[in-house]
Amino acid sequence: MRIIFALLVLGLATAGALAQSREDIVVTGGPALRFMEHGKDASHDFYWFNFIDGSTIRLKELKDAAKPGELVTWLVYEPGYASRAKELGMDLLSQIQAKATQLGVTLVYFHTKAELVSYLNRGHDRDQMKIASFDYFGHSNKACFLFDYSNMIDSMSVNYLHVRDLGLIDSDVLAKDATCKSWGCHSGEMYSQWWKSHFDVAMIGAIGKTDFSKGGEPVLSNSDGKWVQ
Amino acid sequence: MMTRFFLGAARLVLVGLLTASALRAQMAADTSVYKPPVAPPLQKGSPLDHLTNDPKLDTLPYGYKEGHTGGATYFIAHRHIDEMGGSGWGWVRKSDEDWGDAKWIALQEQPGLAVAPFRKLTHRDGDADWEFKFWGKFAPYKAYDPHLDEVLPVFVLEGYEVIGPEPAPNLKVGAPDRPEHRASGASSRSDRAIRTDID
Repeated sequence: MRIIFALLVLGLATAGALAQSREDIVVTGGPALRFMEHGKDASHDFYWFNFIDGSTIRLKELKDAAKPGELVTWLVYEPGYASRAKELGMDLLSQIQAKATQLGVTLVYFHTKAELVSYLNRGHDRDQMKIASFDYFGHSNKACFLFDYSNMIDSMSVNYLHVRDLGLIDSDVLAKDATCKSWGCHSGEMYSQWWKSHFDVAMIGAIGKTDFSKGGEPVLSNSDGKWVQ
Repeated sequence: MMTRFFLGAARLVLVGLLTASALRAQMAADTSVYKPPVAPPLQKGSPLDHLTNDPKLDTLPYGYKEGHTGGATYFIAHRHIDEMGGSGWGWVRKSDEDWGDAKWIALQEQPGLAVAPFRKLTHRDGDADWEFKFWGKFAPYKAYDPHLDEVLPVFVLEGYEVIGPEPAPNLKVGAPDRPEHRASGASSRSDRAIRTDID
Protein backbone atom coordinates (compact mmCIF):
# COMPACT_ATOMS: atom_id res chain seq x y z
CA MET A 1 0.00 0.00 0.00
CA ARG A 2 2.81 2.36 0.98
CA ILE A 3 4.66 1.54 -2.24
CA ILE A 4 1.55 2.28 -4.28
CA PHE A 5 1.15 5.57 -2.43
CA ALA A 6 4.80 6.47 -3.03
CA LEU A 7 4.51 5.63 -6.73
CA LEU A 8 1.34 7.69 -6.92
CA VAL A 9 3.10 10.68 -5.36
CA LEU A 10 6.06 10.17 -7.69
CA GLY A 11 3.72 9.92 -10.70
CA LEU A 12 1.89 13.10 -9.75
CA ALA A 13 5.18 14.91 -9.26
CA THR A 14 6.39 13.75 -12.67
CA ALA A 15 3.14 14.80 -14.29
CA GLY A 16 3.48 18.18 -12.61
CA ALA A 17 7.02 18.53 -13.89
CA LEU A 18 5.95 17.57 -17.40
CA ALA A 19 3.09 20.06 -17.29
CA GLN A 20 5.70 22.75 -16.67
CA SER A 21 8.13 21.47 -19.30
CA ARG A 22 9.75 24.00 -21.57
CA GLU A 23 11.66 23.85 -24.81
CA ASP A 24 14.72 25.78 -25.95
CA ILE A 25 14.81 26.22 -29.71
CA VAL A 26 17.71 27.13 -31.97
CA VAL A 27 16.89 27.71 -35.66
CA THR A 28 19.78 27.53 -38.13
CA GLY A 29 19.59 28.71 -41.74
CA GLY A 30 21.68 27.35 -44.59
CA PRO A 31 24.81 28.65 -46.33
CA ALA A 32 25.12 30.10 -49.82
CA LEU A 33 26.64 28.02 -52.59
CA ARG A 34 30.11 29.07 -53.64
CA PHE A 35 28.90 28.64 -57.21
CA MET A 36 26.60 31.63 -56.64
CA GLU A 37 28.95 33.75 -54.55
CA HIS A 38 32.18 33.06 -56.42
CA GLY A 39 33.78 36.27 -57.70
CA LYS A 40 31.51 38.74 -55.92
CA ASP A 41 32.98 41.73 -54.11
CA ALA A 42 30.97 40.86 -51.00
CA SER A 43 31.10 37.09 -51.13
CA HIS A 44 29.22 35.14 -48.47
CA ASP A 45 29.86 31.86 -46.69
CA PHE A 46 33.34 30.79 -47.67
CA TYR A 47 32.99 28.43 -44.69
CA TRP A 48 29.98 26.13 -44.94
CA PHE A 49 29.43 25.71 -41.19
CA ASN A 50 29.62 29.37 -40.08
CA PHE A 51 26.00 29.26 -38.87
CA ILE A 52 26.33 25.70 -37.55
CA ASP A 53 29.35 26.54 -35.38
CA GLY A 54 27.64 29.56 -33.82
CA SER A 55 24.57 27.43 -33.20
CA THR A 56 26.47 24.60 -31.48
CA ILE A 57 28.04 27.00 -29.01
CA ARG A 58 24.62 28.39 -28.10
CA LEU A 59 23.15 24.88 -27.94
CA LYS A 60 25.80 23.81 -25.48
CA GLU A 61 25.07 26.83 -23.29
CA LEU A 62 21.38 25.98 -23.35
CA LYS A 63 21.98 22.28 -22.70
CA ASP A 64 24.23 23.06 -19.74
CA ALA A 65 21.65 25.42 -18.25
CA ALA A 66 18.60 23.27 -19.03
CA LYS A 67 16.49 22.25 -16.07
CA PRO A 68 15.24 18.66 -15.76
CA GLY A 69 12.44 18.11 -18.27
CA GLU A 70 13.53 21.05 -20.43
CA LEU A 71 14.06 20.06 -24.06
CA VAL A 72 16.73 21.55 -26.27
CA THR A 73 15.76 21.34 -29.94
CA TRP A 74 17.84 22.28 -32.98
CA LEU A 75 15.91 23.13 -36.13
CA VAL A 76 18.14 23.15 -39.21
CA TYR A 77 17.20 24.12 -42.78
CA GLU A 78 18.19 20.86 -44.47
CA PRO A 79 18.08 21.79 -48.19
CA GLY A 80 20.76 24.45 -47.72
CA TYR A 81 23.22 21.95 -46.27
CA ALA A 82 22.23 19.18 -48.70
CA SER A 83 23.06 21.36 -51.71
CA ARG A 84 26.26 22.76 -50.20
CA ALA A 85 27.25 19.17 -49.36
CA LYS A 86 26.72 18.20 -52.99
CA GLU A 87 28.85 21.11 -54.11
CA LEU A 88 31.61 20.25 -51.66
CA GLY A 89 31.45 16.49 -52.10
CA MET A 90 31.18 16.13 -48.32
CA ASP A 91 28.47 14.57 -46.15
CA LEU A 92 27.52 17.67 -44.15
CA LEU A 93 24.24 16.22 -42.91
CA SER A 94 26.01 13.37 -41.11
CA GLN A 95 28.34 15.91 -39.53
CA ILE A 96 25.39 17.97 -38.30
CA GLN A 97 23.74 14.84 -36.88
CA ALA A 98 26.99 13.93 -35.12
CA LYS A 99 27.19 17.37 -33.53
CA ALA A 100 23.59 17.12 -32.34
CA THR A 101 24.24 13.68 -30.87
CA GLN A 102 27.39 14.86 -29.15
CA LEU A 103 25.57 17.83 -27.67
CA GLY A 104 22.62 15.67 -26.61
CA VAL A 105 20.05 17.87 -28.36
CA THR A 106 17.15 16.89 -30.58
CA LEU A 107 17.83 17.61 -34.27
CA VAL A 108 14.84 18.45 -36.45
CA TYR A 109 15.37 19.23 -40.12
CA PHE A 110 12.90 21.55 -41.81
CA HIS A 111 12.53 22.10 -45.53
CA THR A 112 9.99 24.92 -45.80
CA LYS A 113 8.69 27.87 -43.86
CA ALA A 114 5.46 25.91 -43.36
CA GLU A 115 7.33 23.06 -41.65
CA LEU A 116 9.10 25.46 -39.31
CA VAL A 117 5.89 27.26 -38.43
CA SER A 118 4.15 23.93 -37.90
CA TYR A 119 6.87 22.82 -35.46
CA LEU A 120 6.72 26.05 -33.51
CA ASN A 121 2.93 25.81 -33.27
CA ARG A 122 2.41 22.08 -32.86
CA GLY A 123 5.82 20.38 -32.39
CA HIS A 124 4.59 19.83 -28.83
CA ASP A 125 1.40 20.68 -27.05
CA ARG A 126 2.14 24.37 -26.59
CA ASP A 127 -0.38 24.63 -23.75
CA GLN A 128 1.87 22.23 -21.84
CA MET A 129 5.28 23.04 -23.29
CA LYS A 130 6.07 26.67 -23.97
CA ILE A 131 9.18 27.80 -25.82
CA ALA A 132 11.59 29.08 -23.18
CA SER A 133 14.17 30.45 -25.58
CA PHE A 134 14.49 31.09 -29.31
CA ASP A 135 17.74 31.77 -31.16
CA TYR A 136 18.19 32.33 -34.89
CA PHE A 137 21.47 31.85 -36.75
CA GLY A 138 21.49 32.56 -40.46
CA HIS A 139 21.25 35.14 -43.19
CA SER A 140 18.86 37.99 -42.56
CA ASN A 141 18.00 41.53 -43.41
CA LYS A 142 16.03 43.82 -41.15
CA ALA A 143 12.69 42.45 -42.37
CA CYS A 144 13.38 38.78 -42.90
CA PHE A 145 15.08 35.58 -41.73
CA LEU A 146 16.51 34.00 -44.91
CA PHE A 147 16.79 30.23 -44.43
CA ASP A 148 18.38 30.04 -47.85
CA TYR A 149 20.30 32.80 -49.58
CA SER A 150 22.21 32.45 -52.84
CA ASN A 151 21.69 28.74 -52.56
CA MET A 152 18.95 28.01 -55.07
CA ILE A 153 18.88 31.41 -56.78
CA ASP A 154 21.77 33.86 -56.94
CA SER A 155 21.42 36.58 -54.26
CA MET A 156 17.82 35.59 -53.48
CA SER A 157 15.83 33.42 -51.11
CA VAL A 158 12.97 31.00 -51.64
CA ASN A 159 12.46 29.96 -48.02
CA TYR A 160 12.28 32.78 -45.53
CA LEU A 161 10.28 34.11 -42.60
CA HIS A 162 9.36 37.71 -43.29
CA VAL A 163 8.00 39.94 -40.53
CA ARG A 164 4.68 39.71 -42.38
CA ASP A 165 4.80 35.91 -41.81
CA LEU A 166 5.06 36.17 -38.01
CA GLY A 167 1.27 36.06 -37.84
CA LEU A 168 1.49 32.42 -38.99
CA ILE A 169 2.99 31.54 -35.60
CA ASP A 170 0.57 31.32 -32.69
CA SER A 171 1.21 34.32 -30.49
CA ASP A 172 1.17 32.25 -27.26
CA VAL A 173 3.85 29.65 -28.10
CA LEU A 174 6.54 31.53 -26.18
CA ALA A 175 6.79 31.55 -22.40
CA LYS A 176 6.18 35.02 -21.00
CA ASP A 177 9.77 35.07 -19.70
CA ALA A 178 11.27 33.59 -22.88
CA THR A 179 14.63 34.89 -24.07
CA CYS A 180 14.86 35.43 -27.82
CA LYS A 181 17.75 36.54 -29.99
CA SER A 182 18.49 36.82 -33.68
CA TRP A 183 22.20 36.54 -34.30
CA GLY A 184 21.75 37.60 -37.95
CA CYS A 185 22.34 41.02 -39.46
CA HIS A 186 20.03 43.98 -38.94
CA SER A 187 17.25 42.17 -37.03
CA GLY A 188 17.28 44.87 -34.35
CA GLU A 189 16.33 47.48 -36.94
CA MET A 190 12.87 46.07 -37.64
CA TYR A 191 12.38 42.37 -36.84
CA SER A 192 12.70 42.82 -33.08
CA GLN A 193 9.88 45.38 -33.02
CA TRP A 194 7.52 43.16 -35.04
CA TRP A 195 8.46 40.17 -32.85
CA LYS A 196 7.66 42.08 -29.66
CA SER A 197 4.43 43.33 -31.16
CA HIS A 198 3.30 39.82 -32.13
CA PHE A 199 4.47 37.74 -29.16
CA ASP A 200 4.65 40.39 -26.43
CA VAL A 201 8.14 39.01 -25.76
CA ALA A 202 11.32 40.91 -26.59
CA MET A 203 13.83 39.67 -29.15
CA ILE A 204 17.41 40.90 -29.11
CA GLY A 205 18.66 41.82 -32.57
CA ALA A 206 21.60 43.62 -34.12
CA ILE A 207 21.77 47.15 -35.38
CA GLY A 208 24.15 46.70 -38.29
CA LYS A 209 25.86 43.58 -39.52
CA THR A 210 27.02 40.56 -37.57
CA ASP A 211 30.12 38.57 -38.43
CA PHE A 212 30.08 34.76 -38.41
CA SER A 213 33.36 34.38 -40.25
CA LYS A 214 35.66 34.35 -37.22
CA GLY A 215 34.11 31.18 -35.80
CA GLY A 216 32.35 30.91 -32.47
CA GLU A 217 29.39 33.08 -31.61
CA PRO A 218 28.86 35.85 -34.16
CA VAL A 219 29.91 39.36 -33.19
CA LEU A 220 28.87 42.80 -34.31
CA SER A 221 30.80 43.80 -37.43
CA ASN A 222 30.83 47.55 -37.05
CA SER A 223 32.03 49.71 -34.21
CA ASP A 224 28.72 51.59 -34.26
CA GLY A 225 26.70 48.36 -34.23
CA LYS A 226 24.83 47.30 -31.11
CA TRP A 227 22.38 44.74 -29.78
CA VAL A 228 18.90 46.07 -29.06
CA GLN A 229 15.49 44.64 -28.25
CA MET B 1 9.87 0.37 3.60
CA MET B 2 9.41 4.09 2.91
CA THR B 3 12.88 4.88 4.32
CA ARG B 4 14.48 2.28 2.05
CA PHE B 5 12.57 3.70 -0.96
CA PHE B 6 13.73 7.27 -0.32
CA LEU B 7 17.33 6.16 0.36
CA GLY B 8 17.34 4.35 -2.99
CA ALA B 9 15.90 7.36 -4.75
CA ALA B 10 18.48 9.69 -3.19
CA ARG B 11 21.29 7.35 -4.29
CA LEU B 12 19.95 7.38 -7.87
CA VAL B 13 19.76 11.19 -7.89
CA LEU B 14 23.36 11.42 -6.58
CA VAL B 15 24.65 9.04 -9.27
CA GLY B 16 22.73 11.01 -11.91
CA LEU B 17 24.21 14.31 -10.78
CA LEU B 18 27.75 12.92 -10.75
CA THR B 19 27.33 11.42 -14.22
CA ALA B 20 25.89 14.66 -15.63
CA SER B 21 28.74 16.66 -14.13
CA ALA B 22 31.32 14.24 -15.57
CA LEU B 23 29.66 14.45 -18.98
CA ARG B 24 29.64 18.23 -18.84
CA ALA B 25 33.35 18.29 -17.98
CA GLN B 26 34.03 15.90 -20.85
CA MET B 27 32.03 18.08 -23.27
CA ALA B 28 33.88 21.20 -22.13
CA ALA B 29 37.22 19.55 -22.77
CA ASP B 30 36.18 18.15 -26.13
CA THR B 31 36.65 20.77 -28.81
CA SER B 32 35.78 18.47 -31.71
CA VAL B 33 32.26 19.93 -31.78
CA TYR B 34 33.82 23.18 -33.00
CA LYS B 35 36.38 21.81 -35.43
CA PRO B 36 37.96 24.56 -37.52
CA PRO B 37 37.19 24.41 -41.25
CA VAL B 38 39.46 22.42 -43.49
CA ALA B 39 39.04 23.14 -47.19
CA PRO B 40 38.31 19.93 -49.07
CA PRO B 41 39.89 19.30 -52.45
CA LEU B 42 37.85 20.41 -55.47
CA GLN B 43 35.73 17.55 -56.74
CA LYS B 44 36.03 16.57 -60.40
CA GLY B 45 33.00 17.94 -62.25
CA SER B 46 31.99 20.26 -59.39
CA PRO B 47 30.47 23.61 -60.44
CA LEU B 48 33.37 25.21 -58.58
CA ASP B 49 35.81 23.36 -60.77
CA HIS B 50 34.05 24.74 -63.84
CA LEU B 51 34.12 28.28 -62.44
CA THR B 52 37.74 28.10 -61.46
CA ASN B 53 39.16 26.47 -64.53
CA ASP B 54 37.02 27.49 -67.50
CA PRO B 55 38.45 30.40 -69.52
CA LYS B 56 36.31 33.55 -69.24
CA LEU B 57 35.20 35.54 -72.27
CA ASP B 58 34.86 39.30 -72.72
CA THR B 59 31.77 38.90 -74.87
CA LEU B 60 29.32 36.12 -75.61
CA PRO B 61 29.55 34.32 -78.97
CA TYR B 62 26.48 34.93 -81.16
CA GLY B 63 24.43 31.79 -81.53
CA TYR B 64 26.10 30.03 -78.60
CA LYS B 65 23.79 27.41 -77.09
CA GLU B 66 23.77 25.79 -73.67
CA GLY B 67 21.45 23.17 -72.15
CA HIS B 68 18.26 21.89 -73.72
CA THR B 69 17.46 24.14 -76.69
CA GLY B 70 15.46 21.83 -78.91
CA GLY B 71 11.89 22.61 -77.86
CA ALA B 72 9.54 24.49 -80.17
CA THR B 73 8.27 26.62 -77.28
CA TYR B 74 10.73 29.17 -76.06
CA PHE B 75 10.94 32.61 -74.47
CA ILE B 76 12.70 35.81 -75.46
CA ALA B 77 14.76 37.10 -72.56
CA HIS B 78 16.30 40.53 -72.15
CA ARG B 79 19.05 40.86 -69.56
CA HIS B 80 18.94 44.16 -67.69
CA ILE B 81 20.78 45.46 -64.66
CA ASP B 82 18.57 46.84 -61.89
CA GLU B 83 20.13 50.18 -61.02
CA MET B 84 18.41 50.15 -57.63
CA GLY B 85 20.60 47.20 -56.64
CA GLY B 86 18.05 44.43 -56.98
CA SER B 87 19.08 40.95 -58.05
CA GLY B 88 16.37 40.37 -60.65
CA TRP B 89 17.82 39.05 -63.94
CA GLY B 90 15.75 40.90 -66.54
CA TRP B 91 12.53 40.46 -68.56
CA VAL B 92 11.19 37.29 -70.11
CA ARG B 93 8.27 36.93 -72.55
CA LYS B 94 6.89 34.05 -74.57
CA SER B 95 8.22 34.08 -78.12
CA ASP B 96 4.74 34.77 -79.53
CA GLU B 97 3.91 37.55 -77.08
CA ASP B 98 4.75 41.27 -76.98
CA TRP B 99 7.11 42.90 -74.51
CA GLY B 100 4.04 44.30 -72.80
CA ASP B 101 3.40 40.77 -71.49
CA ALA B 102 6.96 40.33 -70.23
CA LYS B 103 7.78 39.64 -66.58
CA TRP B 104 10.71 40.82 -64.53
CA ILE B 105 12.16 37.58 -63.18
CA ALA B 106 14.54 35.87 -60.79
CA LEU B 107 16.63 33.38 -62.75
CA GLN B 108 17.06 29.90 -61.30
CA GLU B 109 20.13 28.28 -62.82
CA GLN B 110 20.73 24.56 -63.04
CA PRO B 111 24.46 23.90 -62.71
CA GLY B 112 25.34 20.99 -64.93
CA LEU B 113 22.52 21.82 -67.37
CA ALA B 114 22.26 25.56 -67.99
CA VAL B 115 23.55 28.52 -65.99
CA ALA B 116 23.24 32.27 -66.45
CA PRO B 117 25.08 33.48 -69.56
CA PHE B 118 27.23 35.91 -67.55
CA ARG B 119 28.98 32.95 -65.91
CA LYS B 120 31.00 32.61 -69.12
CA LEU B 121 32.10 36.26 -68.94
CA THR B 122 34.83 38.15 -67.17
CA HIS B 123 32.25 40.57 -65.73
CA ARG B 124 28.90 39.72 -64.14
CA ASP B 125 27.23 42.57 -66.02
CA GLY B 126 28.95 41.77 -69.32
CA ASP B 127 25.66 40.58 -70.82
CA ALA B 128 23.69 43.71 -69.86
CA ASP B 129 21.07 44.52 -72.53
CA TRP B 130 21.76 41.37 -74.48
CA GLU B 131 18.91 39.16 -75.64
CA PHE B 132 18.56 35.42 -75.60
CA LYS B 133 16.20 32.64 -76.47
CA PHE B 134 15.36 30.89 -73.21
CA TRP B 135 14.00 27.40 -72.76
CA GLY B 136 12.53 26.57 -69.39
CA LYS B 137 9.46 27.24 -67.27
CA PHE B 138 8.09 29.40 -64.50
CA ALA B 139 8.38 27.80 -61.05
CA PRO B 140 5.34 27.43 -58.78
CA TYR B 141 7.26 29.33 -56.05
CA LYS B 142 8.57 32.89 -55.92
CA ALA B 143 11.88 34.37 -54.88
CA TYR B 144 12.47 37.04 -52.25
CA ASP B 145 15.02 39.69 -53.12
CA PRO B 146 16.40 40.79 -49.75
CA HIS B 147 18.15 43.80 -51.22
CA LEU B 148 14.88 45.43 -52.23
CA ASP B 149 12.37 43.55 -50.05
CA GLU B 150 10.37 42.41 -53.05
CA VAL B 151 9.10 39.11 -54.41
CA LEU B 152 9.70 37.98 -58.01
CA PRO B 153 8.48 35.15 -60.24
CA VAL B 154 11.12 32.47 -60.80
CA PHE B 155 12.14 31.28 -64.27
CA VAL B 156 13.87 27.90 -64.19
CA LEU B 157 16.45 27.89 -66.97
CA GLU B 158 16.82 24.69 -68.99
CA GLY B 159 18.72 26.09 -71.94
CA TYR B 160 19.54 29.25 -73.87
CA GLU B 161 20.77 30.58 -77.18
CA VAL B 162 22.57 33.91 -77.55
CA ILE B 163 20.82 36.40 -79.87
CA GLY B 164 22.91 39.52 -79.25
CA PRO B 165 22.73 43.08 -77.88
CA GLU B 166 19.40 44.90 -78.15
CA PRO B 167 18.04 48.18 -76.76
CA ALA B 168 16.15 47.74 -73.52
CA PRO B 169 12.37 47.55 -73.97
CA ASN B 170 10.47 50.45 -72.47
CA LEU B 171 9.37 48.57 -69.38
CA LYS B 172 9.37 49.18 -65.65
CA VAL B 173 12.24 47.50 -63.84
CA GLY B 174 11.40 45.29 -60.87
CA ALA B 175 8.33 43.68 -59.36
CA PRO B 176 4.99 45.10 -60.57
CA ASP B 177 4.29 46.48 -57.10
CA ARG B 178 7.59 48.35 -56.81
CA PRO B 179 6.77 52.01 -56.22
CA GLU B 180 8.54 54.51 -58.44
CA HIS B 181 10.03 56.24 -55.40
CA ARG B 182 9.72 54.18 -52.27
CA ALA B 183 10.78 55.39 -48.86
CA SER B 184 12.98 53.27 -46.69
CA GLY B 185 10.71 50.19 -46.27
CA ALA B 186 12.92 47.32 -45.20
CA SER B 187 16.09 49.25 -45.81
CA SER B 188 18.77 49.28 -43.21
CA ARG B 189 19.98 52.69 -44.33
CA SER B 190 17.57 55.57 -44.57
CA ASP B 191 19.81 57.49 -46.94
CA ARG B 192 19.74 54.78 -49.56
CA ALA B 193 16.29 54.04 -50.99
CA ILE B 194 14.89 50.57 -50.33
CA ARG B 195 18.13 48.58 -50.35
CA THR B 196 18.48 46.11 -47.53
CA ASP B 197 21.78 44.64 -46.46
CA ILE B 198 21.97 40.98 -45.73
CA ASP B 199 24.47 38.60 -44.22
